[in-house]
Amino acid sequence: MMEFSEAMRVASSGMKAQANRLRHVSENIANVDTPGYRRKLVSFEQAMNDPLVRTGDVSLDQSELTRVYDPANPLADGNGFYDGSNVNLLLEVADAREASRSYEANLKMFDQVRQMSSALMDLLRS
Amino acid sequence: MSEPLAVFELAGRMAAHAGQRQALVAANVANADTPGYVARQIASFTDHMEAGGNSPAATLKRTRANHVHSSDLPTRMMVAETGEPAPNGNTVSVEDQMLAAVDIGREHNRALAIYRHGLTILGYVGGKR
Repeated sequence: MMEFSEAMRVASSGMKAQANRLRHVSENIANVDTPGYRRKLVSFEQAMNDPLVRTGDVSLDQSELTRVYDPANPLADGNGFYDGSNVNLLLEVADAREASRSYEANLKMFDQVRQMSSALMDLLRS
Repeated sequence: MSEPLAVFELAGRMAAHAGQRQALVAANVANADTPGYVARQIASFTDHMEAGGNSPAATLKRTRANHVHSSDLPTRMMVAETGEPAPNGNTVSVEDQMLAAVDIGREHNRALAIYRHGLTILGYVGGKR
């Protein structure tokens, strides 16, 4: 029976990590037009000697910022360009899909463990 | 009356084994994005019992006298066979884990059904009287 509460802990840690990942993806999407914004990358790590997963450090993607041409913008340099963000919407949407899928998988695991545990309880009850 | 009790012991072992498997599958799914994580699994119940299991009921399955009675050995974890690892070293396949979870659910239900049937035979489970 110990395994059930352990499994539920692990599954909920997975859900929390995926939700955190999704949060950072939405931050990136919201800031796609912010000048100078670098997209945030979330790393996953396993806790020591524990199957629990958690999100580790958030790092900034160091790839090139897109140069946006808009002479009317106050930030524009002599040639009319300014640094936009390095967010690629396609990547972010794909990442969001992945995060959703992983979240659902963790949720299914949680639900199955709950069902198995309650079936065991029913046995004791009847 | 030792016959029905052995059935309870075996069904109990089967349910516990399903519980252990489920915990491992949950860990694999939670770590499906962790870099370098290797998916693990434990032996199936039949293999587990063939190897001696870790209970007195395992004596039902011992076919040779020199098999070690491994009552203190934890269930051995093995590396799951999967295809190519992802670029970050992760080998978890969520689809495989989902299929395993379905299997585990059925195994658990079967174990509990056997257990409940045993109780019915003994007369401990009944409807309203």
